[in-house]
Amino acid sequence: MTVFKITNAWKSFNDSVNVLRGISLSVESGEVVSIIGPSGSGKSTLLRCATLLERLNAGEIRYGEEIIAENDSAGKSVYREEAALRACRQQFGLVFQNFNLFPHFSVLKNIADAPINVQKRPKAEVESEASALLEKMGLSDKKDAYPFQLSGGQQQRVSIARALALKPDILFFDEPTSALDPELTGEILKVIRSLAEEKMTMVVVTHEIEFARIVSDRVIFMDGGVIIEEGTPDLISNPNNERTKTFLQKLRR
Amino acid sequence: MKKNLVLSLMVVLSLLVPVFAVSADGAETLVVGFDQNFPPYGYVGEDGEFTGYDLELAAEVAKRLELEVVYQPIDWDAKDMELDSGTIDLIWNGFTMQGREEKYTWTEPYKEAGQIVLVAVESGIKDFAGLEGKNVSVQADSAGLAALEDEANAELTASFGSLTVVPDYNQAFMDLEAGAVDAIVMDIDVAYFQIEGKEDKYMILEEFVQKEDYGVGFKLGNEELRDKVQEALDEMAEDGFIQDLSNEYFGYDSCTLTACVEAAKSK
Amino acid sequence: MPLSVILAKLSQGMATSFAIFSLTLVLSLPLGLVVALIRLRPNRPIQAVTRGYISIMRGTPLMLQLLVVYFSPYYLFGIRLTPDYRFWAVIIAFVLNYAAYFAEIYRGGIESIPVGQHEAAEILGYTKSQAFTRIILPQVVKNILPSVTNEIITLIKDTSIAFAIAVTEMFTIAKAIASAEKTMVSYAIAGLFYYVFNFIVAITMERVEKRLNYYR
Repeated sequence: MTVFKITNAWKSFNDSVNVLRGISLSVESGEVVSIIGPSGSGKSTLLRCATLLERLNAGEIRYGEEIIAENDSAGKSVYREEAALRACRQQFGLVFQNFNLFPHFSVLKNIADAPINVQKRPKAEVESEASALLEKMGLSDKKDAYPFQLSGGQQQRVSIARALALKPDILFFDEPTSALDPELTGEILKVIRSLAEEKMTMVVVTHEIEFARIVSDRVIFMDGGVIIEEGTPDLISNPNNERTKTFLQKLRR
Repeated sequence: MKKNLVLSLMVVLSLLVPVFAVSADGAETLVVGFDQNFPPYGYVGEDGEFTGYDLELAAEVAKRLELEVVYQPIDWDAKDMELDSGTIDLIWNGFTMQGREEKYTWTEPYKEAGQIVLVAVESGIKDFAGLEGKNVSVQADSAGLAALEDEANAELTASFGSLTVVPDYNQAFMDLEAGAVDAIVMDIDVAYFQIEGKEDKYMILEEFVQKEDYGVGFKLGNEELRDKVQEALDEMAEDGFIQDLSNEYFGYDSCTLTACVEAAKSK
Repeated sequence: MPLSVILAKLSQGMATSFAIFSLTLVLSLPLGLVVALIRLRPNRPIQAVTRGYISIMRGTPLMLQLLVVYFSPYYLFGIRLTPDYRFWAVIIAFVLNYAAYFAEIYRGGIESIPVGQHEAAEILGYTKSQAFTRIILPQVVKNILPSVTNEIITLIKDTSIAFAIAVTEMFTIAKAIASAEKTMVSYAIAGLFYYVFNFIVAITMERVEKRLNYYR
């Protein structure tokens, strides 16, 4: 079953250069897709368009059976009304590079507030689920702490728990370890890996190619707003495309 | 929704203005505008209530006209707007007529007064010549300042070392006491009142900077109310009310109304 | 004048000063927020109106605004003014003036919240108003507290401007007593009142700030 599909997506900012140039991507249920590419290749923009933070100029977006954006007769993207978009946001989650936790909420409230106030689920149920998520993240003792009291790695784990609490069908990661000290990246990668083992559908934009090779079902190389190569994780060891080779070499150095 | 809220808020605010503005009580009042920092004409008395020579006269006039007197202390700088807009009926406040003859409708002058120079005894200043090079203080927008700015006193004013304009006389006295100024140009009655009991410290120079007349000021063209007040004043002159009150306040009969003069003659 | 009378008179003035202070605060804080929110809307003409309003309110003296609010019904529309309107004119002018200052403080506070907070709220499915009241505003309040405290203290001292349209608040009464009694006592009491009032405000605000210090 296809969880997410973006088709022939074009995106430019302020009518200047196109950041996305007719890119298409489809993610199947339970699949883990890694997106790799040099900075400025459009991979973050793709993620922001997929999560509706930015709007496409042209192209279509679907979540499951639901069409979120499609082209009109002039070939311009038309989005559904705000209420439908808000409902759609319950189907996906996004883990930010900078965590973006709410500083005035405790760890537990960061996780439980949206399920309670957005999904209108019972408080007790949500909070026990949140506690379970925290335990899974190895943060049971931080329930009542505030984000500023946590390390970057701990904050990112809370933000993953926050996204999971809404029970999304698909989870996007926007360079989840880039803002962390190198010694802290491991704990995040471990969490993503355990989610993969549970067959969570995930799209991960990352620079950690070794990690991508281990955890992904499919790897995508992006450059210049298009996919230049895609395939199994073996591609990382044996790229065909010249640009992919150069990029990977740079990263390995 | 939010836009509507803002819009309705603005409508409500703009409605408030006339609502408050027209909630007139309709009661028959005589609203006396005065500067509450101007003893002995209008000030806060021993009991904390407004009193003063002019206010007592106004109260008696109101009584005789069967109106309820309302003392409305005003910001002196806003007096014309207050009078024009009808928020006060008249100005009765040691209100000098000279230079303002055409700006207001006046009663007959009921009192003579003048601008004098008040000095500290220890300053040794005895006359106008002694003011040369001295620091002189005067209240802003006052008759004293107008007198000093008058051409007739140009020579005198030019002889001062400096002329300091202060917001009120009280501050001028504080300055004089502190030695920041050597002399204050002010109204003679106000001066007598201020130095009462302190005659050893302050004295008034004999020469007048300017003599002036006090009247009750009305909005230009409001002859109707002026005539009523004038009539009441004449009555009060005939039965001696004004003279008695003047003696009480100033220690002499200061009334200059024609009716007062006639009454004095007939005695 | 016995001290008891001076105190009685001054406390009448204090009541007026306090009424001006509290009504202004209670009304201008929410109005300022509304103005700030309009100011931040993408709609150009509405933005221009709020910008103009803020600019006029901050660019002209409060005393002038007071005179305009009080006298303009008469001078513009010929409406007879009543004594009651004096006080309400003070409130209207003070609220309009302070709302403009508060609006700019709110705006700065709102703009200082990282865009990531808005995006996180959006992704989690909060509606715009939920995101504002639950996520953005609490952080704004914490950020702007010191500036708001400054404005509140200025407001206490500004209450004495009310006499421009003959509303006898405390300082005016203190002045009148001082000139009638040739004494500084009333000034001293007035000064003490302002100081104590400001002191209480400062302490209260400090407490609020401390309470919001549970996070950074």
